Amino acid sequence: MINTKDLRICYDKQVVVEGLNVCIPIGEITALVGSNGSGKSTILKTLSRLMKPSHGHIYIDGKLLHKQSTKQIAKQLAILPQNPTAPQGLTVYELVSFGRFPHQKGMSSLSAKDKEMIFWALEVTGIIEFADRPIEALSGGQRQKAWIAMALVQETKIIFLDEPTTFLDMGHQIEVMNLLQKLNEEEDRTIVMVVHDLNHASRYAHHMVAIKKGQVINTGTPSEVMTSSLLRSVFGIEADIIVDPRSGKPLCLPYALCDANEVQQNHLQVV
Amino acid sequence: MDIHRISRVEQKKTRRQWRILAVLFFLLCGAMLFALNTGYVKLTPFEVIKTFLGMGTEKQALILFEFRLSRIIVAMLVGAGLAVSGCILQGISRNPLADPGIIGITTGAGLFVIVFVAFYDNVSLIPTYIVPIFAFLGGAITAAVIYVLSYRRHEGLLPTRLILTGVAIAAALNGLMMVLVMRLNPKEFHWVSVWLSGTIWGYEWKHVIVLFPLILLFIVAALWKSKLLDVLSLGDQISTGFGVTLEKERIILLAIAVGLAASSVSVSGGIAFVGLIAPHIARRLIGPYHQYLVPASALIGGIMLVVADTIGRSIIAPSEIQAGIVVAIIGAPYFLYLLSRTKV
Repeated sequence: MINTKDLRICYDKQVVVEGLNVCIPIGEITALVGSNGSGKSTILKTLSRLMKPSHGHIYIDGKLLHKQSTKQIAKQLAILPQNPTAPQGLTVYELVSFGRFPHQKGMSSLSAKDKEMIFWALEVTGIIEFADRPIEALSGGQRQKAWIAMALVQETKIIFLDEPTTFLDMGHQIEVMNLLQKLNEEEDRTIVMVVHDLNHASRYAHHMVAIKKGQVINTGTPSEVMTSSLLRSVFGIEADIIVDPRSGKPLCLPYALCDANEVQQNHLQVV
Repeated sequence: MDIHRISRVEQKKTRRQWRILAVLFFLLCGAMLFALNTGYVKLTPFEVIKTFLGMGTEKQALILFEFRLSRIIVAMLVGAGLAVSGCILQGISRNPLADPGIIGITTGAGLFVIVFVAFYDNVSLIPTYIVPIFAFLGGAITAAVIYVLSYRRHEGLLPTRLILTGVAIAAALNGLMMVLVMRLNPKEFHWVSVWLSGTIWGYEWKHVIVLFPLILLFIVAALWKSKLLDVLSLGDQISTGFGVTLEKERIILLAIAVGLAASSVSVSGGIAFVGLIAPHIARRLIGPYHQYLVPASALIGGIMLVVADTIGRSIIAPSEIQAGIVVAIIGAPYFLYLLSRTKV
């Protein structure tokens, strides 16, 4: 379990998140959802120690995160930021091999185990046929898979992803989401991601955390979190919630923006 | 594609990279041999080899060992030092424009050297080993100022900001340098103006003895950190995610880059462009892997400066054109050509 205690996160002197207590189950897919500027990315960055909280603690399996060395943490959790870039000419194989960095020492080259891990990750993400191509020559979906493969060879239980599908078209979005689902089910990786598309979040995540203005508004299964009143208060939209006949998961069909005053009231009700 | 094929492709690639390094090494040897042949007194390659084997005339030995060889070695070391310095700076700033000259590190190092010269009565009496120390101090202070000014707490080191700050600081330091230079006496003025235009002024064996271990040490350090440079090229967030202590590692790398640039500057003055172009050419030849990129940059930088220095001292012999000027004259158009071919 990853949990936080009274987390306060600031950018310079501006408080973005205050008194955050959130709990993320291990072995599941968790989606952080919220509107732009709600602080969900900031929370993800803080959970993965890219940002330091100015107050409060983060625990992974009961152990204090910031008490461990950054190298130790790198063996427990991997992070894939939003829209990462690779140097020109770097091949997929090379990029994925960089993920072994936390396990390597000094100048040593890739060991047999490193190589085995790299091949496995290339295979499991389905990009082995592009191994010797430069990253920039891949399509968006394949590129994202290459980055995911890089995070995979880091051999961590937990993988954090910041909007892994944002710049992809629909087909590639589903491909990436299916891959993450497979990694969760077959490889037992805990996935924590920020997702923009609510229906994706609901379809793929076991656990959802809805965030507004740095506060957790609601957490739970998609059916518990995806409600009309929550959508009204978090996103300011009026939406019908229907049940997806295929997956049995809730789907949202937004139809209007709601009135600003109402949002305020609803927000108070939910809180 | 299967695992065996990928392994084969990777092996082939590694072999190719080593082959390129070998070719560059032979080119460097060739350039040095050519440089030994060239000069006021012409020597054939055969005579050069004969002299090396101890079978040449005394005059030939004197010319080769006392005048030419040491200078050529210094030129090679300076070229290699500046190139690797540029390679590291481009790596940590993730900006292909970073170069110790452009961001003011060489100017800072030079300024300290000039201040030091201004306080010394007799230029020719300056102990060889002191100049690199002053150059390093100047370079380090400049680098520290640039680092502090281009660093933002939550965003880290901003590549574009680093370049812009560096350019501004270089301009300011250049102005300061002009003011200082105007106040020097004629003899010092001459020394400084020759120094500024980027000539290999420290070309005696004593300079080789000071420079060689320094450059070697710093290049080995850069190689030691080559994997880290690879990871840094993926950005701050991914590097942190891999367990890199960004601030610490960046300062170490910056210190290596400053050390290389300052050691080079201390015997050669302001040679621009080598630190910019050599890593670019190396990247085109050998790819973005720093394990190969660092040595390739060093070799290319060495070749560039040996050739430039040889052209400079032979084209209007017995007079000389400074190596820095030769590099700029050839380097600037080449750089523009490179720019026109890149997509960025």
